[in-house]
Amino acid sequence: MMANRAPMLRIGQQDLKCRQGCGYYGNTQFDGLCSKCFRERNDKQRKRQKAGEDHETLKVNTSSAGGTLERKSPQHSLTMGRANKAKKQPEKDEPTTTASTMPRKKFTVPAVLQKTLKSKFPTAAPQPRVPSATESQFMLQLRQLRIPDDGKRKLKSEIQQLDHEIRKYMNNNSSKNVDELSELVQNAYTRFADLVHNDARFEIATNEDREIAIDFFEKVVMTQNHNLLFSPYFTTDEECDIKVQKRIRQLSWITTKHLDCSIDEVNAEARDLVYNAISELVGIDSYYSPQEKLLCTVRCCRHIFELLKRSTGGPASADDFLPALIFVVLKANPVRLHSNLNFVNRFTNASRVMSGEGGYYFTNLCSAIAFIENLNAESLGLSAEEFDAYMSGEQTYSTPWESALLACESLHLISENMKCMEQLQKRNSVISTGIKEFERELIEFQREITEKVDMVMEKAPLTLLPIKTPPFLISQARAHLAQDGGEAAAGHYQSNLLSLSQQTLTVKGKEQILEDSQLDVGHTLALKDTSVSSVGRLSPLHPNLPQPDQLFASPIFNYTPFDAVSLLEETSENDDVLMLGTEFQGGLTNINYDFDLSDQSGENSVAEDTKLNLDEFDPLAQQQNSPNTHPAETTLLDTTADSLIDSDVPVSEVLLPSPLKPEVANYRGFSNFEIPSISCNTGDFSSLNQDVNDPVAPVQINK
Amino acid sequence: MRGIEGKVVVLGSRGVGKSRLVIKYIKNALHRSEEPTIAVSFFTCNIMLDDVKIKLQIWDTAGQERFRAVAPMYYRNANAAILVFDLTQYKTFTEIKSWIQELHRNVQDPMILTLVGNKMDLQSQRAVSRDEAYLFASSIGATYFETSTETDQGLEQVFLSTALGLVRLADEGKSHSLRSFESTDSLFYTNGNTAFSYTAAAVVRNEDGAAFRLPYVHIGIPVDGQDVKATGEGRLETPSWAIEHIALGEVERARWCCY
Repeated sequence: MMANRAPMLRIGQQDLKCRQGCGYYGNTQFDGLCSKCFRERNDKQRKRQKAGEDHETLKVNTSSAGGTLERKSPQHSLTMGRANKAKKQPEKDEPTTTASTMPRKKFTVPAVLQKTLKSKFPTAAPQPRVPSATESQFMLQLRQLRIPDDGKRKLKSEIQQLDHEIRKYMNNNSSKNVDELSELVQNAYTRFADLVHNDARFEIATNEDREIAIDFFEKVVMTQNHNLLFSPYFTTDEECDIKVQKRIRQLSWITTKHLDCSIDEVNAEARDLVYNAISELVGIDSYYSPQEKLLCTVRCCRHIFELLKRSTGGPASADDFLPALIFVVLKANPVRLHSNLNFVNRFTNASRVMSGEGGYYFTNLCSAIAFIENLNAESLGLSAEEFDAYMSGEQTYSTPWESALLACESLHLISENMKCMEQLQKRNSVISTGIKEFERELIEFQREITEKVDMVMEKAPLTLLPIKTPPFLISQARAHLAQDGGEAAAGHYQSNLLSLSQQTLTVKGKEQILEDSQLDVGHTLALKDTSVSSVGRLSPLHPNLPQPDQLFASPIFNYTPFDAVSLLEETSENDDVLMLGTEFQGGLTNINYDFDLSDQSGENSVAEDTKLNLDEFDPLAQQQNSPNTHPAETTLLDTTADSLIDSDVPVSEVLLPSPLKPEVANYRGFSNFEIPSISCNTGDFSSLNQDVNDPVAPVQINK
Repeated sequence: MRGIEGKVVVLGSRGVGKSRLVIKYIKNALHRSEEPTIAVSFFTCNIMLDDVKIKLQIWDTAGQERFRAVAPMYYRNANAAILVFDLTQYKTFTEIKSWIQELHRNVQDPMILTLVGNKMDLQSQRAVSRDEAYLFASSIGATYFETSTETDQGLEQVFLSTALGLVRLADEGKSHSLRSFESTDSLFYTNGNTAFSYTAAAVVRNEDGAAFRLPYVHIGIPVDGQDVKATGEGRLETPSWAIEHIALGEVERARWCCY
């Protein structure tokens, strides 16, 4: 609605002026002439009454061209101009006001004639018995009323009676008092209400229908006699209207801040609601019956409440409502405000303005106007000087409302855009703060996680505890030792094993593998193992190794220590011994070489080394390998072991590295150093084949 | 059945919770959880006391000092006034005194006055003592209540006492503006934005129960925080009773009930 109206407001002043150029406003209905010029022309043309026209039509003349405003009232076209005029008032300057008032005053003198003329004016004149559009509409409504036909007839006659009374009073030449008129009407209302409630003709009607009938009565009478009763010539209503209008125009500088009300003047949505409220308020003048005027007021106030609800976020109270209503009245500057209020006050059913929602809002409107009339510096919270400066126009002002309403489209656009930018900025800042927040949260999250991890780490530190050999393994080992039959050498092994087991890092699983391998591995392998390990370990000591071996091996094969010594000493002399020695040596190295290679390629772990070691020292394995071997052999092996332990503690450490020592070093030691030393010794596989195939091989080796 | 229609104005300074008081009461009376959607400064509510149906038209007013000049428009033809002040602000209490003077100056018809000290939940910030308010209420012929819109305490009593006062006023027949009629149905016609149908339903529900005793109205001062929290439902309520009342020589009242 406002969107349609807004462009109308910006019709150029020049377009509205009288074509005669007299400076007053013209009207399209009068060929673009102002009322005066039009009248003058009409006077010449028609030679009509000199009295001229009544103020009603005059007002229409002075107002602007018709617009697209929709009004439900039957006399819509008449009031159109007034509505527009109200919207325009802030734009108008002083001369215009005088223009609209002066001629009116000039012609208000012969009142009776005016009134009669007015009723003959083509708009809504039920006076002649030809039913007008309004009257036929009422007739239709009357027929639709749900009251008995008797009641309808009675209602009609009552309406005619009151109609007649009002006319009679108005045409009476005696002095008139509007209060008397009001009383007359009010009495008629009471009389009719009594009649409706108590008369037999209305007996069957429901209360609701009775009320509708009473309403109808009031509405018809008021609409038909609106011309007579609305701001009667013998009252000062018109003067008051002018005064209030002028006053409101002077107060155009008032903003929402002055009134301390929570209307956002720049917000487009709020503005729309204010426009709605204003259009309803202005629309009051376009209705004829007091009920409709009240309804208009109610609608206006509801818009304001809606507005307040949105701006305050909760139900608004009267504390907020009244300032907002005052603001709307100030910005609307409704035409003929006083006349309208007085009309309603005087001629509507008294209970209507005393009670009910309509009455409440009407009272609010009245008090808003009273406030505006009596407005002073104090009531706006301004100093007297400031107030005077504003009122006299000395102090310039600019309100967002005014800029939107009158200045120009672009200024309005600027303020709208500013608002838009503001909102965008707000959103932008919200986003950026959100980003910052998120960033902060991320950091916090990271910190928290680290903290938690640290805490957990602290709670459960990674400590490497020495691995305990499972007791069953020890007991097993003991059992093995016991099986050996309490040999003297067993003590060595046992102690060796125990000491080793205490040192090793190898876990139980590995021990288990070790255990398994001990059981599964065949004697040949076991043999190889022993040789490998011995060679592996002893390779640096290679030159010396055979000597004790041979020396100690002697008891098995009945080698005397002397023999061994002689063998070593006299290798060059004795071929047999040399042969034997080489064969012995070669056999050993062969086996070593073969196994070492496979061992290395398989990337043996320390565990395997230990396995080998254990195998070497396992008396059980030895026994299984050579069941036929003499007990002396064990002694030999034991002695070897003994010698190993005795001589090379570091060597054994190489083989079974301490868990605390880096394994890599050991491994490197194997690959870098020992393999070449082995490879240079041998290359013969025959002995290996022999070993595997020939059960006598161990004996051979031993030889 | 008798019907009485009275206009009640709610007066008081800004921010004392006038609107809140009415809204809360209406809300409770309607058994509705949501706030009234629109027109929140004008209410009608119907109260049933024995066989009298009282229709209250509650007019909220703007409490700002600057609107004091237009206030007579509101309380013109009013039958009752609920004067609200903030218990935590002594200034609002003194302003009530000026309201009373103004009412006495401008209103000729007898009027039911109800003095309400709001925000009784803020006991610690209390600035107006109960005795002082009570004595003042007695001096102006008003009933005094303390309420809390936060905890819904004492709201019903304010309006019920007002309704009772209107019944008494109608019985005396001194007031000209008070509408009194025989037909109950006529109450139905102007119920634009009212609590009517709901209240009527509630009234019907409680009709067989113990009814409000008429015309026996007491100065029901809700005391302290221990009294029963008011709800919109009709039920027997034991009178709030304090040692001060006994000290003041009051007679213990009979049990009374809402609706």
